[in-house]
Amino acid sequence: MTSFLAPFLEGRPEGLFVPAFDAFLDPPAPAARAILSHAHADHAVAGHGEIWATPATIAIYRRRNPDWPGTERPLAYGEEVSQRGATLRLHSAGHVLGSAQVWLGGAGGDALLYTGDFKRRPARTCAPAEAPRARTLVTETTFGLPVFRFPGKDALEERLVAGCREALGDGETPVLLAYALGKAQEAAAVLAAAGIPTVLHGAAWKLAPEYAAAGYPLPLSRAYETGPAAPGEALLVPPNCARTPVVRKLRRRRVFYLSGWAIREAARAETDADVLVPFSDHADFPDLVRHVEETGASRVVATHGYAADFARILAARGIEAEALPESAERAAEEA
Amino acid sequence: MTAYRLLAGALEEVASARGKLRKIESLAAALRMLEGDELVVGARLLSGSPFAEWEEAVTSAGWATVARAAAAVTGWDLETIGACARAIGDLGEAVGLLLPAEPPGTALGIADVDALFRRLATLRKAAEKQALLEQLLRRASPVEGKYLLKTLSGGLRVGADVTTMEDAIAEAFGAEREAVARARRDSGDVGETARAAREGRLDAIRFRLFHPIGFMLASPIEEAAEVAGELPLLAVEDKFDGIRAHAHKSESRVTLFSRTLDEVTEQFPEVAAALAQVPGDFLLDGEIVAWRAAERRPDSFFRLQKRLGRKAPGADVLAEIPAAFIAYDCLASGGAPLFEEAWSARRERLDAIAAAATGGLLLSDVFRAATPEELERAFDAARARGNEGLVLKRVDSPYQAGKRGKLWRKWKKAAATLDVVVTAVEQGHGKRAGMLSDYTFAVRDGDRFVNIGKAYSGLTDEEIRELGARFRKITTERYGPVRAVAPEVVIEVAFDTIQKSARHKSGFALRFPRIVRLRPDKTIADIASIDDVRELHRRVSGEPGAAGSDTGTKTTA
Repeated sequence: MTSFLAPFLEGRPEGLFVPAFDAFLDPPAPAARAILSHAHADHAVAGHGEIWATPATIAIYRRRNPDWPGTERPLAYGEEVSQRGATLRLHSAGHVLGSAQVWLGGAGGDALLYTGDFKRRPARTCAPAEAPRARTLVTETTFGLPVFRFPGKDALEERLVAGCREALGDGETPVLLAYALGKAQEAAAVLAAAGIPTVLHGAAWKLAPEYAAAGYPLPLSRAYETGPAAPGEALLVPPNCARTPVVRKLRRRRVFYLSGWAIREAARAETDADVLVPFSDHADFPDLVRHVEETGASRVVATHGYAADFARILAARGIEAEALPESAERAAEEA
Repeated sequence: MTAYRLLAGALEEVASARGKLRKIESLAAALRMLEGDELVVGARLLSGSPFAEWEEAVTSAGWATVARAAAAVTGWDLETIGACARAIGDLGEAVGLLLPAEPPGTALGIADVDALFRRLATLRKAAEKQALLEQLLRRASPVEGKYLLKTLSGGLRVGADVTTMEDAIAEAFGAEREAVARARRDSGDVGETARAAREGRLDAIRFRLFHPIGFMLASPIEEAAEVAGELPLLAVEDKFDGIRAHAHKSESRVTLFSRTLDEVTEQFPEVAAALAQVPGDFLLDGEIVAWRAAERRPDSFFRLQKRLGRKAPGADVLAEIPAAFIAYDCLASGGAPLFEEAWSARRERLDAIAAAATGGLLLSDVFRAATPEELERAFDAARARGNEGLVLKRVDSPYQAGKRGKLWRKWKKAAATLDVVVTAVEQGHGKRAGMLSDYTFAVRDGDRFVNIGKAYSGLTDEEIRELGARFRKITTERYGPVRAVAPEVVIEVAFDTIQKSARHKSGFALRFPRIVRLRPDKTIADIASIDDVRELHRRVSGEPGAAGSDTGTKTTA
C-alpha cells in the first residue's frame, strides 16, 4: 500500500518485513526472525525463533521470557551487518535502555531509518538518540500533533522533584505511576540525584540487574518486596497498579502520573492522579519534526499515534509523507 | 492595571488543588490582590462568567468560530486544530497548548478581558466574533487562552462552585460566610459581593424585586427508603413537568425569570396578566405549565415545548396551548425577603397571598407521608395525575438560592427501561472530557436501526474507558467530534417518559434518558423494536386513571 518502504521494507499482513535479512521489524506475532527495536511488550512479543537486537534488549527479553528457547544475535550500536547488498545498523533511540533505531543502507547511498519508539530529550538511564542520515524515515508519531509540546529535561526533572518534595513535606508518600521498563528507572534516577530514595514495584525492580549491567546502577532504590514505602521514600508502580491495594492502602499519598498524555486535563479523571507530569519516553511534536530535519529524510512514513495527521502536516510543508495504514487502528487502542 | 494572567494562574492552581480548602485558599489569594472594578470583574471571571448573574448578556461563539480564530492566530489549519481538540478532549485546552509561551501582543489586563467579552456579547455575526476572538487570543499565553475559551464555552470545570467562591470571598476579606452568601444572593453578583466584602459593607446590599435571584434546586433520590428517617420533616408536592420560573410582582408590573435567569415574561403574556391581578408585592417560585383548563390540570411538557423559543406567541398559540403558573414558594412579600425563613413560614405567606387573590393564583398541593409506603402511593398518585414525580422539601429549609442541596429532594422514577444499541459516540465534558462518554442509541426497525435518544452518564469511569477503546475500534465514520460506530454494544436505558418527536429517526424521543447498565449478555437481536416503543408510548401517554380528578394543584377560593 505505501510506496516509500521499498526497497528496504515490505508491508506485509504480519508486519514490516526486511527482505535482505529475511526478518520482521517488531512483529506483533511470533516470527522466525525478528529485529527488535526495544523490549516493550507491544514491540517485543514472546515466542520469536530468533531475535536481533542490542545486548540490553536481549537481556531484558530473556528476563521477561525466562524459558524462551530461541536464539539471539546481539548487535552493538553502530555494528554493521551486511547481507544481499544491504547493510543493517542499530542506532540509539533514547527511548529506554537498549532501544534502537534500525538503519538499512543499500546501493548508491540510499538508506531507510526505522525509529521504533524514540525520544530526543536526554535521559539518565539510556544513551541519547542519534539521527543518522537516511532518504526515507519510518517514524513513530505517538505525539504527532502540535498540541504535544513537552518541557525540556531540566524543567521536567525540576517539576517532578519539587512535586515529590512537597508531598514528602506534607507527610505524604509520592506515588509515581510509571511503566516498568524505562520510565520507572529513569524517574528513580531523577529522584536519586535529588537525594530522594525510591521503592520500585516488582515489574520494574526485576530489571535492576540489566540496568546495572548496562552501567545504570539505580542508587537509593530498593524492591517493594523488602517492605512498603517508609516516610521519606517515593513509591514507583506501573499505571495499571493505580487502583490496586499497593496504592490504595497508603492512606496519605500523592499520586503522580508520568506520561506525555498528562498534558491533557482529562488525564486527571482517567487516572485519579493528583499531579500530572508530562514526563514522556516519546518524542514530542517539535522533536518529531526535528528528527525529520536532522536525518535529512525527503520521504517520511508515519506510524503509530497521529500518523495520518503528522503525514498531512509534513506534506503541507513540502515533505513527501504518508501514514502506514494499520497504524490508525493501533493508535486508537493506545490513545 | 492587573494582568488577566493572575486570574488564569489562580484558576490553574484551583484546578490542580486537592480538596475544597486548597481551592478556597487559591481563589482567596487572587481576590486579595484585587480591588475596585478589577475586584468586581475578577471575582466574576474566577467564578466562570464575565457577567453578573443578573445580567442577561451571554457570550457565545460556536465551535467552528473558535476553531477558525485559533487557526488564524496559531497558523495551524482547521483540520489540525480539530484533530488537536479531539486528542486533548477540549477545544479551549487544545488552543491554549498551541499558543506561544510568550504572546507577542501587550499583556491582557482584567479590564481588557471584561471589555472584550462585553463587546463579544453584542456581536451577532460569526465573522465579527471570530475577529474579536483573534484579537483576544493574540495577546494570550497558553494558560490565559485556555481559561478565556473555557469561560466562553460556559464552564471552567476547575471544581469550584458558587459556594466555594462565597467561601473564598469570606476567607479573603475576613467576612462571615453567611453574610457573603446572603449578599451574593440578593445582589445576583459575586463581583459586587466581593467588593462589598473587601470594603466592609456587605450589609448595604439589599434584596430588590425585579432583580433575578438564583433558584434553589433539589437533589435526586432513587427510592423512598432514602428519606425514610426524614419523612416527619418533609412536605411533599407533585413535580410538575414545565418551566421553573420566578415571578416578581409589584403593583401592576410582573416579570418572569427562567432558571437560566433569562426574562420570559413576553413568552407567557397570559401568565403575567393573571399574576398582575393578584394583590400585593411579591416574589414567587413556581412552574409555568401548559394548562388544560377544562380538566384543571397541567398538560405534558411536550405541549409546552411548542411555545418555547418564540418571543411573543400569537392569538392562535395562546388559544391552542394556554399556559399557567403554579406557585409553590414565596421568597419575598411586601418588599421583605423571606429567604432565611423556614419553608413552612414561607408557605403560610404564599397561602395568604393566594387567599387574597380569590381564585386567581394556582398553588401546588402539599401532602405529608408518614412512611415510605405512603410516599410510594403519593408518587403513584402524582404520576396518575400526569406529573413527573415528587418534590420533597424540608419544612425547616431556608431558600438557598442558586444551590443544589439535600434540603430539597426530587424523586422521578423511570417509566421503564429499554435495551438499545449504541450507534454513535462522542467525547464528554467536564470530568469526562476526553472520554467517549456520550452515546446515541437506537432500536430495531426491521433490519434497520433507528435512533431514539442520547445519554450522557450512568456508567463508571472505568466502564467508559473500557468501552471507549472498543468504540474506537468499531468506529465506522467520523463527523467532527462524533464517531459513528458499528451497532454492537447493547445498553439498558431508563427514562422518565416517551414522546413523539421529529428529532430522532424513530419518531420518538425519550425524556431524561440515562444508562442503567451495560448488557454484554445481549446482542442486537435482543434489543427493543420500534413496535415495543410504540406500545410503551401508548401506555405512558394514556389518559390518567380515576385518580386524575385530583389534579395536584388547587385554586384557593
